[in-house]
Amino acid sequence: MNHEPILDGMIRTEADRSEPLLRAGNTNCGGCGMSLALLMLGRAAAKHHIQMVIPACCGIVTAGPYPYSAYGAPVMAATFASAAACATGLSHTARLNGEDTRVVCFAGDGGTFDIGLATLSAAAERNEDILYICYDNEIYGNTGGQRSSATPLGASTTTTPAGKTVRKKDVLGIIAAHGAPYVATVSLAHPEDAMRKLRFALDAKGFRFLHVLAPCPTGWKSEPADGIELVRLAVRSGLYPVYEIFDGERATVNVKPDHDPEALATYFGKQGRFRRAQIDLEVVKAEIGRTWRRLGMFERGGITAAE
Amino acid sequence: MSLQLLTANHAAAIAAASAGRANRGARGFGSGVYPITPQTECIEMLSGLDIEKGSVIPVESEHSAMAVCMGFAMGGARTFTASSSNGLAYMAENVFAAGAYRLPIVMMAVNRTLGPPWNIWVDHGDTLLLRDCGWIQIYCEDNQEVHDLVIAAYRLAEDRRVLLPVMVCQDAFVLSHTLMRTEIAEQEKVDRFLPLLDLAHRLHQKPITVGGLDFPHETEVHRRQLGEAMGRVGGVWKEVQAAFQAEFGRKLPDPVMPYRLDDAEVALVSMGTTASTVRVVVDQLRERGIKAGALRITMMRPFPGEAVAAALAHVGKVGVLDRDVSPGLGGVLWAELRGATGLPMVQGYMIGLGGGDVRPEHIARVADDLLGRTAVGQPMTVEVA
Amino acid sequence: MEVRVHGRGGQGGVTCAKLLAGTWAQLGKSVQAFGDYSGERSGAPVRAYLRVDDTQIVNRNKVYTPEHILVLDPALLDDSSIAGLAPGGTVVVNTPDAPEAIAARFPGYRVATVDATAIARKLGIGSRSLVIVNTTIAGAFCRAVGLPFAALEAAFSEMHVEKDLPAAQAAWDAVRVCEAQGTPRAVAAAATGAAVLPLEAHDVGPPPGLKTGSWRTSFPRYTERDAPCAHACPAGNDVIGFVQALAKEGPEAAAAIIAKTSPFASVCGRVCPGFCVQGCNRLHYDGAVNTRGLERFIGDHAPIARPDQAEGARKAVVVGGGPAGISAAYQLARAGWKVQLLDGAERPGGLLRSGIPPWRLPRDVLDREVDAVLAMGVGWRGSHRVTPEEVAAFAKENDAVILATGQVKNVDLDVPGRELNGIEQGLDFLRGTNRNLSSQMRGHVVVIGGGNTAIDCARSALRRGATKVTVVYRRGRFEMPAITEEVEEAMEEGVEFRFMRAPVALFGDDHVGGVELVVMEGGGRGAKLVATAERDWIDCDEVLLAIGQIADPAALMPATWTLRDGQAYDGETALPVFAAGDLFRGEGTVAHAIGDGARMAAIARAFVGEGEGAPHRGAHAPVRAREMRFSYFTAVKTAGQHKLEPGERVATGAEVVEGLTTAEEAERCLSCGHCTHCDTCLAYCPEGIILRADGGYAVDLTQCKGCGVCAHECPRGAIEMVTA
Repeated sequence: MNHEPILDGMIRTEADRSEPLLRAGNTNCGGCGMSLALLMLGRAAAKHHIQMVIPACCGIVTAGPYPYSAYGAPVMAATFASAAACATGLSHTARLNGEDTRVVCFAGDGGTFDIGLATLSAAAERNEDILYICYDNEIYGNTGGQRSSATPLGASTTTTPAGKTVRKKDVLGIIAAHGAPYVATVSLAHPEDAMRKLRFALDAKGFRFLHVLAPCPTGWKSEPADGIELVRLAVRSGLYPVYEIFDGERATVNVKPDHDPEALATYFGKQGRFRRAQIDLEVVKAEIGRTWRRLGMFERGGITAAE
Repeated sequence: MSLQLLTANHAAAIAAASAGRANRGARGFGSGVYPITPQTECIEMLSGLDIEKGSVIPVESEHSAMAVCMGFAMGGARTFTASSSNGLAYMAENVFAAGAYRLPIVMMAVNRTLGPPWNIWVDHGDTLLLRDCGWIQIYCEDNQEVHDLVIAAYRLAEDRRVLLPVMVCQDAFVLSHTLMRTEIAEQEKVDRFLPLLDLAHRLHQKPITVGGLDFPHETEVHRRQLGEAMGRVGGVWKEVQAAFQAEFGRKLPDPVMPYRLDDAEVALVSMGTTASTVRVVVDQLRERGIKAGALRITMMRPFPGEAVAAALAHVGKVGVLDRDVSPGLGGVLWAELRGATGLPMVQGYMIGLGGGDVRPEHIARVADDLLGRTAVGQPMTVEVA
Repeated sequence: MEVRVHGRGGQGGVTCAKLLAGTWAQLGKSVQAFGDYSGERSGAPVRAYLRVDDTQIVNRNKVYTPEHILVLDPALLDDSSIAGLAPGGTVVVNTPDAPEAIAARFPGYRVATVDATAIARKLGIGSRSLVIVNTTIAGAFCRAVGLPFAALEAAFSEMHVEKDLPAAQAAWDAVRVCEAQGTPRAVAAAATGAAVLPLEAHDVGPPPGLKTGSWRTSFPRYTERDAPCAHACPAGNDVIGFVQALAKEGPEAAAAIIAKTSPFASVCGRVCPGFCVQGCNRLHYDGAVNTRGLERFIGDHAPIARPDQAEGARKAVVVGGGPAGISAAYQLARAGWKVQLLDGAERPGGLLRSGIPPWRLPRDVLDREVDAVLAMGVGWRGSHRVTPEEVAAFAKENDAVILATGQVKNVDLDVPGRELNGIEQGLDFLRGTNRNLSSQMRGHVVVIGGGNTAIDCARSALRRGATKVTVVYRRGRFEMPAITEEVEEAMEEGVEFRFMRAPVALFGDDHVGGVELVVMEGGGRGAKLVATAERDWIDCDEVLLAIGQIADPAALMPATWTLRDGQAYDGETALPVFAAGDLFRGEGTVAHAIGDGARMAAIARAFVGEGEGAPHRGAHAPVRAREMRFSYFTAVKTAGQHKLEPGERVATGAEVVEGLTTAEEAERCLSCGHCTHCDTCLAYCPEGIILRADGGYAVDLTQCKGCGVCAHECPRGAIEMVTA
């Protein structure tokens, strides 16, 4: 009976990387969710040789000025829309040479939901042997906070000062529709589930897509310390479903939300970006309902709710 | 020796495949491809060829085709792609990136008019749009050159003193879809001619970030270094020419190709297939007693300014035949040549734009215009329709 | 005229430069304001520039030789930020320090200081972690360099930041200036950059090496905080300590921890209301940890733990053999004192023996723990009522006298008919019953009162054969001071309750036959309890009074003595005589008595210069439930304890509640406020700079950005953020 946070194997590993995937001394803001996602990925990839492809986003700025690198793995900086295509070339080269290198795209929501979507879709359709991780901070953070198609309803950005009036794009649904072998959402607040998915995705072959809700204190106008708590609230309230889909047809919900209205209200209340629009939470709840009904459509494909 | 009847598109595809095979002892070959008229035949054929330790990946856009090539190159593989016209324009961001990354990618570009309005015929404006991307640009005159230059381009691009991508350019339909007898390079000769690619700055296991941030000083130095690599191309090209001739017995074109220029008082400068027609007209002019000569620019980047200046130094009147136009300026070749030579009498002509069929009589008209001039005028468009 | 602003990403340095430019523009000047655009991130050092002239400005360069420098974060003030400043130029710094302190560091410059952070924080500009000081310090800057406030005000208005004007005004008022003294030091020119590696030769990528620790405003510190269970325990037991020891090392180690504070693990594990259980944070998640059951398990399963007993020559007399007296005697004996324990009862135990029925506290259990205390050398003299004269004599002959006779006087019911037969004080009834459960009762027994004595009386009456038992209480069910579980068990056993009723008269010829009740109103949640005009009636055969007891310390002390803070004084002379437990405090539970006995023993020792006095308990707030991160833990139900069926209980008089069969429940303890090395902090540090060290963790403070995620995510509140 173990009631401790179940982190065994996450960081208590003998075979940890000799250095972290994201080295200290990087320029990311304090409390950056992307930093955390990278460190988790590094731990999951302790035994893998990985090559990363990072398109234009905060993640490539944090690498630091030439010739320095904040990354503990080789990184190819890709043009904004090109991550999945550059990774295709790297992945094929590794295969041609019999190397078990795992090629990982690490891209923000702008490079994934918006400008890179066609490239991403094509790589998914070709079922390239790539792990594509989108760290979604729901904003163009690198350019100072403009809306992306990942920005949620009601969030103020510099280009939607009064709050975004349309809903967030369901990019996971799009990638799943390609029949990709593995797509999943990752909650940083559920490290055990997150690590399992990262490890599974690193080991699996073919196109894998992970979506990580990455708190951005700067863009979300929230306290840096609150980041994980915000993700936890998003999961609890049903706003951020934690699930995985295999081969585009078999879905599993990994963390059951309790749809707690208080959690939802706290999630919105803790972020300055939602202040201006004063969004009606009933509208958000209706959106959440929609999302879960759509998720339920996978039921015929054999959806099972994990306890 | 194998002589085949080939279009230039197929000549390029066969060359790329043999260059790719030649790297099977190293990290192999890869290509990201996307169709666009009039280049499509090339990638169609490439997709069907058997390339040991190679893969050709049909992608969703030219932008991604170049990105895939960059990925292959960053992984250490030899790479090839082909494109044209609007495809090149769409690819432009990554064309620039490949140059900046110093990746020895070879691309066959079929010169076609940029649309809209849509026009599939020859025009050099598409590749000239990319002249500042840090690529070597070579313009071909026939299918044999297309075949030979694609192979030779790898030896130039991959030379450690160079490490620059190469664009092998050829004219839409005039070469791309035209059957010619082409001598195909035997695989064992290509294997000997092309050293295995060992790209020092490929991604391996070391934690480096390729293409992160440069501050102003780093950018100054990196741009200067890129320019210095361009500066070494001329010397390395001579070695490549010599090695190619030794292996294949054929001569590769020089960066500039003079024709009957020694005593010429008037010279016509051109690129690509126009140069062939120009030589016909030069002969006709000579027959008329006019001391005419011609200069074909093979290598647009690095621009062989000194060689051009030397070749034309004694020529009184120079006409530059551009198959492109930079609105508000004139022809690109004309503008660059004027700057490189400093000659007083360099008249610009835009001829064969949008695929107009440039026949000798059109060029003769240009020659007459040039001969009749006492001073340089505005660049003029010569209509050939 | 040029100004350079040094700040951090997110502080608003560029806006500050723009505001000042706007201020000068109000004066008709030509201005330029711009930032150093880079990959700046929240907290990273950034610069902004301002240029002012009378004519059109054509200089497009950054500022290298400013007249003034504005520093938004004092940590950024060094030779590199001062570089190029014109001699006699002004340095305006956001710092609580006096300008003289800064001027001493940078001779030859005029220095102005203001605590803009304090002002902005007070006025709520920015967030908890990032106070935005740009608008505030603009006021100080204008005053320091002689710009009119009206111009600043107009600039604020044009840039729509009027709401921050009070902050600027406050800084304007608060800024202090120290004129330039001496001549500037020569500052070494910054080293020029190393040669740039060609891109194609790039095969090493050293870490960027930014010292991001300078970005932070606070940093994490590992701390040990009170767990609510231990905090709540009136006996002072280290509850979390013994539960953790039980889980990790077993009952003996756990018993050794309890033995430090209490000799009564088995007793308390049965009869305590369980303040620890009620305080347990897990109550707010999946059910409190059954710490009381675990204490009982430890007491019942471990041999009596005897901490090392000191050697000593001091002597004490403890008057009163109840839990407070035994606790005091126990602690003094542990300290090496020779202790004599006196009591009017035959056997030690006080109310534990006389007041608590054996089906709640079996006598063998009580005897085992009481005898263990006596086995430490504590002398016992029973059946002896002590007089004030004896106490005075004890005080002369001993180093300490502890009075712990409890509450001996029963509160009586002052109503007509009280003199009838068949009416007995509950404690007297229990004392008799507890000696002999088999003596039979008959008919309807009415118990007056709502405390544990009332419930024990009611349940004892049932066991003695009463046909029916009714408890009458003047308030509502949830206002009952009795332990809830005991009330529930009584109800299960068939005891009836009449709430909101108070007796007004007892009726009967000779023997009581009925009680007249008045119906009460209010009483809950601060509402006043008042009698209504309504009446109620119960026929009965016996009445037991359980309406409380009071202490009578005066009965034990000579007339000239007084008690102050539990210590006896003769006139102004402090005596080595101390009152403990219910005699003094009247808090009423065994746990309180144990805690107070130990406390007074410690005070008595301190009075003769021994030990460290009474421990200060509960000085710090315990970890609250909202500081816990329950989501990290698997929900597991509380391990309950088996109870006999109600019928069986009443019929046999056996112990109602059985003990836990295993110690597994101890593993449910979340270790509130006590680091368990669970690695959550390490796993969640976005910088990856929390490392294992020396059995705990070390934070690389040269890199810590102070985000606070570790402290926020610590599942058990064992990390706090300290302002740098």
